[in-house]
Amino acid sequence: MQQLDNQEILMKLKSQKQFWDIKKKIKQGFSDQQKIGINDIQKFAQSCEIEDQLIKLISHILKKSKKRETLKEDQIEFLNTSKIKWTELLFKNLDIVHQKAKNQEEDDTNTDSKLYIYDEKNLLAFLQTFKQQQPSVLYQNVQFQSNKLLNINIPLKSAQQILDKYQYILLQEELPEEKINKIRKQIENEHLDTELEKIAQTYVPNGERCLLYLKYFEFDHQETVLQQNFAKLQKECSNQLFFDELLEIDGHEISEDTFYFVFQEQILTCLKCFIRDKTIKENIRIQLQNGMKKEHAEFQLPVTGFFPFKNISKYVAPLCYLSTKIHIIYALFKEFFCRYFCFLHAISSEYNSILSLCMQIEEIVSTRSPKLFHHLKVIGCDTLKLIIHQLIYCFVGDMDPPHILTIYDQIIGHDSLEILVILCVGFLNKYKPKLLLAKNYENVQQIFQELREDKFQELVQFAYKQ
Amino acid sequence: MQNRKLKWKSDFEKSVIIENFVNRGWIKSQEKEEESTDWNVYWATVWNVRNIFNPKNGFRLNDQQIINHFPNHYELTRKDCMVKNLKRFKREQDKEVLETFNFDFLPTTYIFPGEYSLFVEEFHRNPNQTWIVKPAARSQGKGIFLLRKIQQLKKISGTAITSNMTQLNLASKENYVVSRYIDNPLLIGGKKFDLRMYVLVTNYKPLKVWIYNKGFGRFCNEQYTTDVAEIENMFVHLTNVAIQQYSDKYSQKHGGKYSIDALKLYVESAYGTDALQRMMDDIHNIMLTSLKSVQAVIQNDKHCFEMYGYDILLDSNLKPWLIEINASPSLTTTTPVDKNLKMNLINDVYNIVLPNDDFPDNDQKQQQPTKVGGFTLLYDESLDPNNRKTQKRQSVKIWK
Repeated sequence: MQQLDNQEILMKLKSQKQFWDIKKKIKQGFSDQQKIGINDIQKFAQSCEIEDQLIKLISHILKKSKKRETLKEDQIEFLNTSKIKWTELLFKNLDIVHQKAKNQEEDDTNTDSKLYIYDEKNLLAFLQTFKQQQPSVLYQNVQFQSNKLLNINIPLKSAQQILDKYQYILLQEELPEEKINKIRKQIENEHLDTELEKIAQTYVPNGERCLLYLKYFEFDHQETVLQQNFAKLQKECSNQLFFDELLEIDGHEISEDTFYFVFQEQILTCLKCFIRDKTIKENIRIQLQNGMKKEHAEFQLPVTGFFPFKNISKYVAPLCYLSTKIHIIYALFKEFFCRYFCFLHAISSEYNSILSLCMQIEEIVSTRSPKLFHHLKVIGCDTLKLIIHQLIYCFVGDMDPPHILTIYDQIIGHDSLEILVILCVGFLNKYKPKLLLAKNYENVQQIFQELREDKFQELVQFAYKQ
Repeated sequence: MQNRKLKWKSDFEKSVIIENFVNRGWIKSQEKEEESTDWNVYWATVWNVRNIFNPKNGFRLNDQQIINHFPNHYELTRKDCMVKNLKRFKREQDKEVLETFNFDFLPTTYIFPGEYSLFVEEFHRNPNQTWIVKPAARSQGKGIFLLRKIQQLKKISGTAITSNMTQLNLASKENYVVSRYIDNPLLIGGKKFDLRMYVLVTNYKPLKVWIYNKGFGRFCNEQYTTDVAEIENMFVHLTNVAIQQYSDKYSQKHGGKYSIDALKLYVESAYGTDALQRMMDDIHNIMLTSLKSVQAVIQNDKHCFEMYGYDILLDSNLKPWLIEINASPSLTTTTPVDKNLKMNLINDVYNIVLPNDDFPDNDQKQQQPTKVGGFTLLYDESLDPNNRKTQKRQSVKIWK
């Protein structure tokens, strides 16, 4: 952890608008006085809460000065071993994909479109192989339960804790214009991430969302730098990589989406820059794949440290609504991915990881909707299989953009992906009556093939119904 | 409320019309002749409406009949008549002391052949300007081309054009309109688009206008460019679905249609709430001003209503420009979303013009709510004609 000395703290304080506001207030408080002592300033600061504001500001600076370390090793050795196995599997898939791509070049009639290294079903299937492991001295602190994904000693919140935390959303009402204007001013004036998180939890006006995100990620005064960095990456895109082809194919699904087809070129450009961005590796919160170099392999991991996967385009798409400037869209996407979405593809016991979220969902559904949980098992249908797509891709493609952006607000608001647990539970509860009538997996698939419109508030409400 | 089932007739074999009528339990008129009169509800072509209202035919609609066009709708929906009426209305308004309408939404336009010489003068003043040439009475992008050189007018004159000509003899009898091409359209994803929005007029005197909350942007399939080499590439410049559907990049899944709701979210998020509000206010102004411009000339018949398709282009400053107004906006559906929109649109039209399948009298019309389905009342002159200014400002805020 990088420690700051007092001089450095003062320098950073002076770069914050809030510091100068506080200084101005103090000056105004003592405008008439000639001699001012430290005790006078302290008393004054305590009396009008300036001391609290200053403490918050300094804490914020100290927190931000901590270099974000990428999580590489998990506390559970079994999961480290699993990550290696997963990476090996992906290398094999890459070889297969490369061969398919070659065959397609040679034979135009070969239209096998499965040119991706892995998708959400592959990842879930891999996680579910944990159930089949035999108990062994290798798997300390690991228990395997056949009726659920996995049950290991990782700190999981109880179902009630999660439901209690997000219950406030049920009480949210449409805000009057006055309140919305107040929130707008708050976003313009606020800099502390804790305060921005509070706003994001409550309500983010569409017109100020981009500003809030930029401030939260501390990009609001860095547009030139973002532009320059993006321009450099764009230049590198002139050197074609094999992964570019996979990204182009991946973009096809987004190009058919009625809400995102207009952004198709921007999405592809962002992703091509992304896989060339060397700073991802040091900024990402968790290592997705084990960064080993495979001997004699034609392709290694991209400089990001992980393979692009199916539907990666979905993470970029909703952010295209926020700005006309592609370097801004890119910066937001990069930050969202490095802070949050990376956990959806990492085999880890970390709280936000796909493993943890899946276990949380299973826990809530099995305890609050045991009939549904049991019925799905009986008809050979896995609870997680039904929601894995929505979970991994944050409901992009399943909800309209305003609702997706509300999800992103809540992710920032709690600095966590937990909201996805609530929404997945709500999703299952919403379709529970039809699911209980399903006799097999085909019936279940038919239910979800019908035209449906899922909304954020509606799914949250369903999450709390039993 | 009437208990009898209404009889319907339609000149269009469109599912969104027929399914709507059937869903309401209405019965199809059994008379097979085109001139049959045994109907209550008729979704007609503009030509049949003209025939019905032709005094020579001696046909009079009864109180239990309603039809979907005003007799001389073309005053608004023919491109040359629209321009002529707007220019006339502007001249009239310029003489008025009271608040004038904002007319800055019509690109500089000349009607051929009559205004050819005026066009030539303007053309020479701005030699780098691109113009767009359109037949006055055609649709679906037919006959449209972009003009950079006067000689290109040979396409419509049939003879060579020289720079000293002061008259243009058109090969066909039809008029043309030539407008300044908006070469800085708002682009999303690098592509040009225009907006199709729906407006329902149930009465012209007094004017009563409803605006539909759903519409869509129609996107070109090719990246926009002002490169002269691409001036004839209609996939870059013309947004008509009838043209774009022939592009290699056309998708059956979305049909190049981007919902108005999504566009509003984009504009608000990327440009700000105030920018969105200004844009919508300007669009409402276009609708009201254009309708007001023909209020005095349209034959206001109580048996008529009209659902217009407004085509509006946004420029890079988010300023909307009026392209044209369609009397028979396409009811063909290209995607499931499109079908859903148009089904609800027609349903809501009839919920307004025939509430509870009844022919409302004036009192009942006055008592109608200001929101019916996806339609919101944009303007009702009968509410307080003396305070039109205040009423107009209130109504435009209904949109949000």
